[in-house]
Amino acid sequence: MSNHLETFPIVSAEGVGKQVDTAAGNLTILEGISFDIHAGESVAVVGVSGSGKSTLLGLLAGLDLPTSGSIRLAGECLNDLDEDGRARLRGEQVGFVFQSFQLLPSLTALENVMLPLELAGVDSAERKGALLLERVGLETRLGHYPKQLSGGEQQRVAIARAFAMSPAVLFADEPTGNLDALTGSRVNELLFELNEEQGATLILVTHDEKLAGRCSRRIRLDGGRVVADEA
Amino acid sequence: MRPNAARLRLAWRLLLRDWRAGELRILLSALIIAVTATTAISFFTDRLQRAMLSQSSELLGADLLLQSPRPLDEAWLRQADNEGLRHNEALEFPSVVVSGDNLQLAGIKAVSSGYPLRGGLRTAETPFGKEQDTAAIPAEGKAWVEARLLPLLGIGVGDTLDLGSLSLTVERVLTFEPGGGGNFFSLAPRVLINRADVPRAGILRPGSRVTYQYFFAGTEQALQRYKKWLKPLLEPSHRLLDVREGRPTVGAALDRAEQYLGLASLVAVLLAGVAIAMGARRYSERHFDVTAVMRCLGAGQRDILTLFLPQLLWLGLLGGLVGVGLGYLVQFGLFYLLKGLLPATLPAPGPMPVLIGFLTGMTVLAGFALPPVLRLREVPALRVLRRELTPMPLRGWLVYGAALVAMAFLMWRYTGSAALTLSVLGGAALALLLLALVAWGLLRVSRALHRGVGVAWRYGLNNLWRRPMLSVSQILAFGMTLMAMALIALVRGDLLSTWQTQLPKDAPNHFVVNVLPDKVDAFTAFMHSHGIKSAELYPMVRGRLADINGEAMSQRLQPGDDRVGAVRRELNLTWSETLPDDNTLVAGRWWQAGDEGQPLVSVETGVAERLKIGLGDELTFSFGTGEVTVKVASLRTVQWDSFRPNFFMIFPPGVLDPFPATYMTSFYLPVQQKGELARMVRQFPAVTVIDLDRIMEQVRRILAQVTLAVEYVLVFVLLAGFAVLYAALQASLDERLYEGAMLRTLGASRRQLRSGHLAEYALLGALSGLLAAGGAELIAYILYKQVFHLDYSIKWLLWALLPPIGALLIGAAGYWGTRRVVRQSPLVVLNGI
Repeated sequence: MSNHLETFPIVSAEGVGKQVDTAAGNLTILEGISFDIHAGESVAVVGVSGSGKSTLLGLLAGLDLPTSGSIRLAGECLNDLDEDGRARLRGEQVGFVFQSFQLLPSLTALENVMLPLELAGVDSAERKGALLLERVGLETRLGHYPKQLSGGEQQRVAIARAFAMSPAVLFADEPTGNLDALTGSRVNELLFELNEEQGATLILVTHDEKLAGRCSRRIRLDGGRVVADEA
Repeated sequence: MRPNAARLRLAWRLLLRDWRAGELRILLSALIIAVTATTAISFFTDRLQRAMLSQSSELLGADLLLQSPRPLDEAWLRQADNEGLRHNEALEFPSVVVSGDNLQLAGIKAVSSGYPLRGGLRTAETPFGKEQDTAAIPAEGKAWVEARLLPLLGIGVGDTLDLGSLSLTVERVLTFEPGGGGNFFSLAPRVLINRADVPRAGILRPGSRVTYQYFFAGTEQALQRYKKWLKPLLEPSHRLLDVREGRPTVGAALDRAEQYLGLASLVAVLLAGVAIAMGARRYSERHFDVTAVMRCLGAGQRDILTLFLPQLLWLGLLGGLVGVGLGYLVQFGLFYLLKGLLPATLPAPGPMPVLIGFLTGMTVLAGFALPPVLRLREVPALRVLRRELTPMPLRGWLVYGAALVAMAFLMWRYTGSAALTLSVLGGAALALLLLALVAWGLLRVSRALHRGVGVAWRYGLNNLWRRPMLSVSQILAFGMTLMAMALIALVRGDLLSTWQTQLPKDAPNHFVVNVLPDKVDAFTAFMHSHGIKSAELYPMVRGRLADINGEAMSQRLQPGDDRVGAVRRELNLTWSETLPDDNTLVAGRWWQAGDEGQPLVSVETGVAERLKIGLGDELTFSFGTGEVTVKVASLRTVQWDSFRPNFFMIFPPGVLDPFPATYMTSFYLPVQQKGELARMVRQFPAVTVIDLDRIMEQVRRILAQVTLAVEYVLVFVLLAGFAVLYAALQASLDERLYEGAMLRTLGASRRQLRSGHLAEYALLGALSGLLAAGGAELIAYILYKQVFHLDYSIKWLLWALLPPIGALLIGAAGYWGTRRVVRQSPLVVLNGI
């Protein structure tokens, strides 16, 4: 499977545009975005605030649909799938790390990591979840609730959760945006390590040039258009 | 892969977490209130109805009793055999029994072996001796008699009495006889004999007033089939008594109580439903983020439902279990409060109420909590990136439709009638709308308070006006509960005493019936010599209305017609030269000179309306020994609560002369003179005295108990009202926390915030009390004026008490509910947002 994917782009955008209706009229957020991302690549989407980075990430991950153009993710055209079809695809192929961590406050660290496994009906969810938390250095914090963890720890739980289903693509939205510099760089370290171990494709949105510099490729957005695509 | 088991586990875990976080408290407590109220009432009515049913069968001596003036067609009994029903026959007739020089009119009942089919006879060896159950009946030549017959005849147990040409030995004293005949006016002592003795006595001749009683017993289905077969064949002179009709006098009061209790529990369920809807909405909104993350992690719409619906199910089961348990306990309280009105032994609680409790819980959840929870399905995954994205708001028709369907279903289950359900729902909706308008008006008027209060109070009052819909619904919930409680207290305390004080001081408190014609002069002399002022003595002849304008009553009325009862029974007919004082002529003319003996009659307007009788119509009355046809000469209204003898039909003197009459009257006797009654009964043993004071006392006791029971259930309505208040508090808590933190950051003191909250809820309570006082006043006015025809005075106490009580209750609850806003540090609050 992974050999097959290496020859085909795992994510591909073709003429993608996104417009929204606002009180002030039609607003174009993205326009004419086209690129291919191959399996194993690490790509940073960079740009200033309001350049459309997060919107693009949402579209690539199938959280939303473009108003024009098409996106293929892991060989499937997102435009052809309904919401539940896209949810299935996300469950099977995609992992997420968010700026605000998005842990479920009512679940423990372990339960948060187990969640995608349980949703997919994986039998050994608990064992696998514990292993992942051990991998991110939180083996002593399995039963703690997000409230009881520091920001950096919470993001590590989120990373463990993101890799739980061994995703083909990992999307990260400003993963260190809410962390101090030192904690942020440790979390980044972990993110890249795990990505390498699992052989996933990493697509992250950031305005941190240092973080972007660690990626094999950078796509720069400005005013909703790709202004640079550099390796 | 066992996705379903894993999901259910996950759902259970999420539920536990939410429970610990206190997210479900309001949902669960409202649910428990609804289930407890319903289950308690169901247990109560279920046990009561079963007790009544079995007791009625005992009173009737059968499951079904058919009374006929003639022997039944053999085919009718064969049909009963075909249905597998057991049956038995008895004869009832009035006859004089004699011993030596003493003679006495008695009610004779002749029974055959096997009587009664249900319940049993009870007898004693001596008058007022120890009562015993017996399965036997009097042997041939023996009689079992009521104790009061013995002194009238001057005999004892073991002596003989004569019935016609037959001499019978008095073997036992009869203390209880199922299917006991006799009504208010034929209270002759009872004599039970063997059926085989009747022909030998030689007293029954064609035309004798005999009632043939046919007792039937069998399975419910067989009885239903037989009744269905029988009903079209019945004639007006037939009387079919079902166990359901044979309830004791308090049956009617208990029926009412059941209805009120049922209605009160429905209101509690509705209010709890509102609290559940508010709680579920908050629950749903607080799960938007979680749902969005799950969608991100691959959960489809169905997955979301399979995660959240089982939680509702778990919640329903838990709430059902606790509610049913509490309901079981609460019913004992009801039985305790109604002790004395209820049968001494009650059947054990059955399984039905448990089922009904669970069904109610699930229905309320489905109607009120499901729509908001279903909304979770629509949470967009993109919300993880853009928090402002929320699912489409629910369509109004979905929310109200689901709630309406749930309430309609519960009400239909309770009333069993679609038409009644619709009209009650419609009426309730209209009343609610009107009251809501009033509440809204009150809220608007209260804005005048705005001027001249400090900033803290202004903040509190603003809270109230800022969410007008929420405030109006809370004023309604509390206003209606307080109103119901006030009304009940008013009925129990004020209504009866007002009625009694408005009766004339010397309103009659005793009736005397069965004064024999040859004793009238002696009786009048007795009353006179003992200084008892009585109303006139009216003659009373018993007869049936047989036809109107030549059309037989059997033609005019279908069996089962409501109006049948009044005319099928024998009516008490009288004659009078003058129009009684408390009667008013509304049509035609009263008797003039020369009308004596003329075939005329004056009819009471109520019965005239029911039977469509007008002036000039010809009525034929049938008596045991003949018939009389008369023309309607006048219609008159009667003041029934004057406690004087009153009659549907009054004839001119002379018309009823050929028929046997007894006399009746009413009189006032102060308590200290009650001793005269014993002397009266000793001197006139045949008369029956009815003591209204005792009946009034009984009515008062029943009313007190029934209203207390209804109030007991209203506590649940109040609790449900508090659930609504709590849910509303919760719904706005995040906003309040934020505002409170901001205000404190800007320098507001805790005291200022506290006064603000207090102002808000105290005003809410005071407005509820005002609405309650107004509503109670209006309904009380209608009750007094229209229903009881009493003078009305404004109930100032309502206005003085209800608003402060409301302010105190709601103010305290609101103050308590918002204490977190004051306690938590502003930093914690602002950081958490």
